[in-house]
Amino acid sequence: MYFSDLGTIALILALGFAIYTVVVGILGATRASAPLVTSARRSALVVTFFLLTASASLIISFLIHDFGVSYVQQESNLAMPWYFILSAFYGGQEGSLLYWALMLSIFSAIFVFTSRRVHTALVPYVVATLMAIEIFFLIVLITASNPFVRLPVTPADGIGLNPLLMDPGMLVHPPMLLMGYMSFSVPFAFAVAAMITGKLDSGWLRSIRRWTLAAWSIQTTGLLLGAWWAYHVLGWGGYWGWDPVENAALLPWLTATAFLHSTMVQERRGMLKVWNLGLVIASFALSIFGTFEVRSGIISSVHSFAYSAVGPYFLAFLAIIIVFSIGLFLFSLPRLHPEQEFDSVISREGVFLLNNLLLLGVAFATFWGTIFPLISATLRRQTMTVGPPFYDHVNGPLFIILILAMGVGPLLAWRRTSSRVLWRNLAVPAIAAAACAIVLPLAGISDIWANIGFAVCSFTAGAIVYEFWRGMRVRHSHGEPYFLAFNMLIARYRRRYGGYLVHLGLVLLAIGVIGSNLFQIERDAVLTPGQQLNIAGYQLIYLGNIGYQTPGVNTVTAQLQIWRDGSLQRYIYPGRQFYLHFDNQPTSMISVTTFGLTDVYVFLDNWQGASSATIRVFINPLVPLVWLGGLLMLIGGITCWWPDRRSRAGSRFITDPDLSRPSAIYRPVAEGNIPTPSIAPNKTDADTVGALSEAATQSGDTCPPDRVLCVKSFAPTGGAANVPTPLADPDGTDSVGASEILRCAQDDSAEQRRSLGIPVPQTGCCVSIPRPSPQRSEAERVSILRPAGEE
Amino acid sequence: MQPALTIPKEEQSQPPLRRKRLPLSFIIAGLAILGAVGYLVYANTQANAVYYLTVSELKNCTSAFCTTQSVRVAGIVQAGSIVRDDQKQTVSFVMTDSGKSLPVVYSGIVPDIFQPGITVVVEGHYTGHGPFQAQTLLTKCPSKFQSTVKS
Repeated sequence: MYFSDLGTIALILALGFAIYTVVVGILGATRASAPLVTSARRSALVVTFFLLTASASLIISFLIHDFGVSYVQQESNLAMPWYFILSAFYGGQEGSLLYWALMLSIFSAIFVFTSRRVHTALVPYVVATLMAIEIFFLIVLITASNPFVRLPVTPADGIGLNPLLMDPGMLVHPPMLLMGYMSFSVPFAFAVAAMITGKLDSGWLRSIRRWTLAAWSIQTTGLLLGAWWAYHVLGWGGYWGWDPVENAALLPWLTATAFLHSTMVQERRGMLKVWNLGLVIASFALSIFGTFEVRSGIISSVHSFAYSAVGPYFLAFLAIIIVFSIGLFLFSLPRLHPEQEFDSVISREGVFLLNNLLLLGVAFATFWGTIFPLISATLRRQTMTVGPPFYDHVNGPLFIILILAMGVGPLLAWRRTSSRVLWRNLAVPAIAAAACAIVLPLAGISDIWANIGFAVCSFTAGAIVYEFWRGMRVRHSHGEPYFLAFNMLIARYRRRYGGYLVHLGLVLLAIGVIGSNLFQIERDAVLTPGQQLNIAGYQLIYLGNIGYQTPGVNTVTAQLQIWRDGSLQRYIYPGRQFYLHFDNQPTSMISVTTFGLTDVYVFLDNWQGASSATIRVFINPLVPLVWLGGLLMLIGGITCWWPDRRSRAGSRFITDPDLSRPSAIYRPVAEGNIPTPSIAPNKTDADTVGALSEAATQSGDTCPPDRVLCVKSFAPTGGAANVPTPLADPDGTDSVGASEILRCAQDDSAEQRRSLGIPVPQTGCCVSIPRPSPQRSEAERVSILRPAGEE
Repeated sequence: MQPALTIPKEEQSQPPLRRKRLPLSFIIAGLAILGAVGYLVYANTQANAVYYLTVSELKNCTSAFCTTQSVRVAGIVQAGSIVRDDQKQTVSFVMTDSGKSLPVVYSGIVPDIFQPGITVVVEGHYTGHGPFQAQTLLTKCPSKFQSTVKS
């Protein structure tokens, strides 16, 4: 008995339990039987256990060098260090599929453990969907792509991991991307559950949004690590090549990004339900498409994974997903009518909708370019391809408009924005853009596209920084020092300010992309010792070649000095490494030296003996901003996702409709009741006042002191219309953001609001809140907000 | 103390709104974006699409595009055909496919794994005679997931 046999047995048992989970989960849901549902949840955990067992068996087979296992023999050898042996676990196809299945089961287990916060009707369907996906992977693992297949004869040593993969970036990049692909399964499972049960309430939205945020963050990390790896290992001076495999990873990211924006429209206004479900399904289908495309060899790619037998399996699975989703979609369509109508395109939801169209436009163009060889082969009987210029020229302008929308969007109110407020809010970012547009041409940047791009980026960066500044100023005026105010803003309104961080990150990334795409300089030369190469103010002096050996690896490096402004900056050693068993496939050791925001990227192309080298030098301006912006996006994504105390408190309402408890600023309103503002027990007064005055700032501070600001709160959307839901955002993270600033008015009677052309909300309430004015004392301001009975 | 607003009863129990069409502004903005996307995709497909051929397809090609446009050609690098010229930074080699062969001259950076026997894709102009002038040279990674070296 080998560990590999244990692995196969564990896979078969996992398959059995996965099938059991699906059957029992659906039975439990249809018969509303709690014991059956509990059984399904437990058996999902058993699946996780067996997949952990199978994975452990594979890892142990690697660590004990059991080369009798075909996969171990292919992917590892005795000379490899232990960390590369561990990464060989997912280095090949069989192992990467096992990794997929393992991660899916772990995510399922996390779902099972956290599902107390999810509506009970949804849980069995979510678990059943996840396990149905798991069944597919287990079938592939057991039949077509089993990592535990043994060789007839046990070889003495293995072949080893492909040298390109023996890089620290490779330890983390593929698992992140695979996990990213996989993690779109959970939102998909939520979408399926919602379509079956018709429960698209606020709790569902909250769960699916958080799971999608998690998936988005993981996919972002995977994409960034991939770009980082390409930049530091492949030696072509760039980080993104619009290769079909890269595109495949980008596609679900784009649709998930679109979903994360349009879901806010559903949350606040009860619209776009069909659209959002479509985006979730599309994200998952695209992630399976990506896996299929990579495996099937159907599209020629630089990555060009070997053709393998699992391609047809994935194609069939993709077809099943699409047919099943469309069927469910049509089945649930009658229940998905919007609760409200669109009013004006100059509104937050208007910009979100345009943002969605742009993101889908980018996704469509990328998809089109990726499958263009197939389209042209079918239509014209002649295979044609499009290269990076296609993507640059199509997606470049779309991204510029997207970044512009990113700057304008947060300045707009929900529903409609008066043009006076809009112009007022636009002033600061517009000045930033104008300054950029004037200064850059004077500084010698004549490229028109670069100038447009940089001006748009500075517009949006200006808008975001100004938003932070306004929030901090409001809190500062209530007695918080600026630094604390900054932290409290992010801590209290994670979603909003986390989102701004993501936007700021994307702006930085865009600046980096523009800079490195349009201003890259490239030069190559054959050098002998003492010769120098001058490029963009840098002098590279070649000294000679150095060779050395470590176990399993032969290395050749060229030694060069980088000089700048007449002083020696540092020595660099670009080189090549030759791995055992892969003599004819050297990997590059690229030297990247960062001066400020410019990378000096040196690649050793060729060499003769100890005293001649062919080097290629790229000057890549602003590339560090790509990594910095990416990091900021990730931090922002995690900030949005991060759970906090109050989100758990608020979420109790979903399963425990104890509505007598105030959840946030506003007490839930039963029909006919007069709403009274009450202060949530876990919020400080400064928070409340801060939130309200911030809302006032949002509206542009246009209320004169004697007028009042009308804040209306919408009930979160939901299929369960008869269950009262707390009025404020169930997350509690964005309490006033969940409300909508209507208009300053003397008297907020419904009559007057109608005369102002403001529809009277069907649900929700309008409370009059005097605008806190600087003349009033802190105590007075708070007392205004406190209902008389509580004083 | 400001009184909270009371919404009259009949307004709270409004029947659901009838489904209206989207406001015109949405339709115009949406169409503008869709039009822009459509135009960009169409125009750039026209401008950037490159024929992808194998060596034998190129050799047997009778259409005009093979010699007038930039094409991508895939083939296998013939053993012993690689000649590097380090002074001019060029490399010349012969690509083969299905018994046909095509001499190629390429100037630029040669990927790490370029070697006899691997599949490469070159892009450039082919005049119909003489060597193929390649502007780009792509090698297919042997594979991330499978080693090429079979023992």
